[in-house]
Amino acid sequence: MRILIGGAFVVTLLALPTVFAQSPGAAVTAATPHYALDPAKSSLEFTFMQAGAANKGHFKRFQVAFDFSAENLAASRLDVTIEMSSVDTGDQERDDTVKGADLFAVAKFPQAHFAASQINRTAAGYEAVGKLTIRGVTRDASVPFSFRTATENGVAVGYMSGKTSVRRLDYGVGQGDWKATDQVANEVAVSFALRLIPH
Amino acid sequence: MPLRNTTQRWGAVAQLLHWTIVALIITQFTLATLFDDLPPGAKKLALLARHKSVGITILMLAVLRLAWRWTNPTPPLPDTLKPWERSLARLTHALLYVLLFAVPLAGWTMSSARGFPVSWFGLFTLPDLVPKNKALYEVLVTTHGALAWTLGVVAIVHMLAALKHHFVLKDDVLRRMLPLTSNKTQGSGR
Repeated sequence: MRILIGGAFVVTLLALPTVFAQSPGAAVTAATPHYALDPAKSSLEFTFMQAGAANKGHFKRFQVAFDFSAENLAASRLDVTIEMSSVDTGDQERDDTVKGADLFAVAKFPQAHFAASQINRTAAGYEAVGKLTIRGVTRDASVPFSFRTATENGVAVGYMSGKTSVRRLDYGVGQGDWKATDQVANEVAVSFALRLIPH
Repeated sequence: MPLRNTTQRWGAVAQLLHWTIVALIITQFTLATLFDDLPPGAKKLALLARHKSVGITILMLAVLRLAWRWTNPTPPLPDTLKPWERSLARLTHALLYVLLFAVPLAGWTMSSARGFPVSWFGLFTLPDLVPKNKALYEVLVTTHGALAWTLGVVAIVHMLAALKHHFVLKDDVLRRMLPLTSNKTQGSGR
């Protein structure tokens, strides 16, 4: 009798991971919409302090893959790839400097990447928890965002926006003289407003 | 030394403003020479930022100085001056005042036209005077430089005139702008 009970218990334990692994997997194909970026109506901006004054820049080219369902966060994920050479700070000379070896080093590290396989609900909305890679350095990062859908011409379009900040020196953005933070601050504010189309 | 001007001497406030601005103008020429030779980079950025902050300081001091001049007696030019010398002195002084405003304003506008906001020593950011405009920026680079050199030349003329008053004419024109001295003579001239 003891052996039987014990055996049934073991069987149940063995079955549990299988159940958990399969049910979200099944939901992905059934209910989690996949979104891609509408580049023309999306922005990825950053604000940096240069010589004591706030300056703005943005990236002209980046890709977003977003699987999201508020009802199935376990199957939701976010993947962002930024083309670092598309940086635009509104000044050619400054852009060239930023792309150079001491800062973005775009020749060696053409892309930055954020991959989040964990999406959590927060008081204000959601957060994407994952790994951010800039200039070849990968660190844990969490990006808060809000998301809503709007039906436009019969299509449920997604709008995602949020703000976060990145400490540039954590990723080696700033070698040599640029390691100093008196002229260009370490903290860079990042904001994004994305229009996402299901596909 | 009294704070306010008298009809014989410049007071402490006017002297402090005068000599502080002299020191800051020399600083500006030094910084400009230093960063002009540098390639774009963190060092150049640091020197440029300092140059802008000092320039805005000069502009603020120029405002104070003009306000102080308007609310104080002005020691008159010496009676010994010929009419043309008197006119030249007036023109030089007027030009100096105009340039104390024009040079920093041209620099500030130039920075705005480039799209780089000006910060005063990182403590506060000044408003942009014009929207970003590359063509205007190029014009202002030249303007700012030309005005600065004009200021330099006029300041040298001003300095040479002061030295002439002191060493050749031996009057009180320089002494009355120097601290820790007194006028040799009473009255506005000799």
